Amino acid sequence: MNKKFFVILISFMLIVFFSTCKKKEVKTEPVKEPVVEKVEEVTPKVEKPVLTEEEIFQKRDLEEANKAGYLKKVHFDFDKYYIKDDMKPILHSNAEWLLKHPSVEILVEGHCDERGTIEYNIALGEKRAEAAKNYLLSLGVPELRIKIISYGKSKPLVRGVDEETYYQNRRSEFTIVKK
Amino acid sequence: MKILKIIVSMLIIGFIIGILPKNLYSQQEVRIRIRDGMPMIPVALPDFAFTKDSIIDESVKKEIYETLWNDLKFSRVFKLIPREHYTYIHKFNPSNIIFKDWESIQANILISGEIEFSKEKRIIFSFKVYEVKSGKFIFGRNFGGKVEFIRLIAHRAADEMMKHFGEKPIFNSKITFVSSRDGNKEIYIMDYDGKRVKRMTYNEYIDLLPSWSFDNEKILYTSYRRNNPDLYIFYLYTGKTELVSTGRANYCADWSPENDKIVFTSTKAGNAEIFLKDMKTGKEKRLTFNRAIDTSPCWSYSGREIAFTSQRGGTPQIYIMDAEGTNVRRITYEGTYHDSPAWSPDGTRIAFVSRIEGRFDIYVHNLRSNVMIKLTENASRNENPSWSPDGRHIVFSSNRTGRYQLYIVDYDGTNLVQITNKGENKMSKWQKRVR
Repeated sequence: MNKKFFVILISFMLIVFFSTCKKKEVKTEPVKEPVVEKVEEVTPKVEKPVLTEEEIFQKRDLEEANKAGYLKKVHFDFDKYYIKDDMKPILHSNAEWLLKHPSVEILVEGHCDERGTIEYNIALGEKRAEAAKNYLLSLGVPELRIKIISYGKSKPLVRGVDEETYYQNRRSEFTIVKK
Repeated sequence: MKILKIIVSMLIIGFIIGILPKNLYSQQEVRIRIRDGMPMIPVALPDFAFTKDSIIDESVKKEIYETLWNDLKFSRVFKLIPREHYTYIHKFNPSNIIFKDWESIQANILISGEIEFSKEKRIIFSFKVYEVKSGKFIFGRNFGGKVEFIRLIAHRAADEMMKHFGEKPIFNSKITFVSSRDGNKEIYIMDYDGKRVKRMTYNEYIDLLPSWSFDNEKILYTSYRRNNPDLYIFYLYTGKTELVSTGRANYCADWSPENDKIVFTSTKAGNAEIFLKDMKTGKEKRLTFNRAIDTSPCWSYSGREIAFTSQRGGTPQIYIMDAEGTNVRRITYEGTYHDSPAWSPDGTRIAFVSRIEGRFDIYVHNLRSNVMIKLTENASRNENPSWSPDGRHIVFSSNRTGRYQLYIVDYDGTNLVQITNKGENKMSKWQKRVR
């Protein structure tokens, strides 16, 4: 063990010794070089974050609850955000279920079809989520249990370019976030 | 007979009037024609040479040559003499330039380039610019760097050309955008020509609407990573991300030209309204007050005004207000759906999106002449226009091929080019200022 250490130490010292003893270069007349501008770019720093175990677990657990489909979605007219008469029974049954399960907290998602701009649709989706939320409040569901979110047109339910597709995508969805 | 007399006398009078002005005006008449845009400068770009110590690598030469060629062609400042014309004259020899030849093919400016490619994989690109008529050397520069920066070297040379002719150097400017090329909607940046793409976010949630600060060091964007649309700032050179605004939806943010304030849409008041936030003090100020949707604020480059979309008149229309929220005036009256206003850098025009029968097209409204021109024409959705720093080009997204891709079109609707093709790409924003 000691021997090894000595060998390394000596060789290290030798290296230091030799490197300091290097002959000094003879100075020559510097040749005039043209000015070369350096072209480079600082690359932006980006880090990849990792999802925690808990986040993954929490997500999976609720996914199963939502797959069961206790709460039904409601649809809207083009560019509108009021609750249509034929959608009211759906909200009534959603409210009934929520009142039966008082520990459940939900997130109301507002969505739009793709015939609007991204910027405007986020605002419109929010209005749709809020309309659905307000309707549930009017049926006695406590406000604390309902949160809203707008996805605009970034999460279409179905893909397509016909009126039926657009109708399907103009919706408020109800997601269980706490059981 | 009478008619003939009248005709003859009229001819005589007409003749006299025709020769009179020359004697009447002692000064020469100066006529100024005002047009949108200037005539382009004809430039010849013959093949580059290698220095005698250089490694001969045709792919290096091709990359620099084509990048520079494409930049100059894109500029709307220069017009490149087609390469076929170079074959009509003597072969280009940098040490003995026959300017008469280049004049004969209508070149005003001649660029001579030389490449040195070393064993250490470094490039030195020297270029010299001549005026053809006088045969005089105008200017020259040498750019050196690692081979990985080869495109930057060519862009720098093109930028020098722009600067020398009094134009903004835009070829090192970047575009930020949202892409699904890696599966999820994340923020990316790339060169103006769609090359050298770099991913900025890795959060696996939806990221939307990125926006450059005027110093090009920060990107504001909206992310759903906390299961709510919140505003974030990404600092490009430290890699840090900072949460700016939360509580209900916060999105569509834009910077003030001094980079000290932001303006954004928030629904924290229960309805989409426009807010201003002082980034130094953290103080927020609400700018719009009504029950309609107000969104898409865009700060003018002068800092004095903010363009935005409001539904207060029943349908979404473009409005302008002073940066304090006062003096609101409506810009668009035709049509039923307008959004995504974008100021031109000189403040004279606003580009926006207009919807007709479920299609979107990009229009430019000239605030001085009140003239509107349509830039896109097809049965698809063309969205989110954003101006180049020199105001000559507009980047936007379009699903004309079925999937959303990014395109650039010139201010007058010409020279359309597609710059992306991987995944879906949208919400592009060009850097606002160049150094």
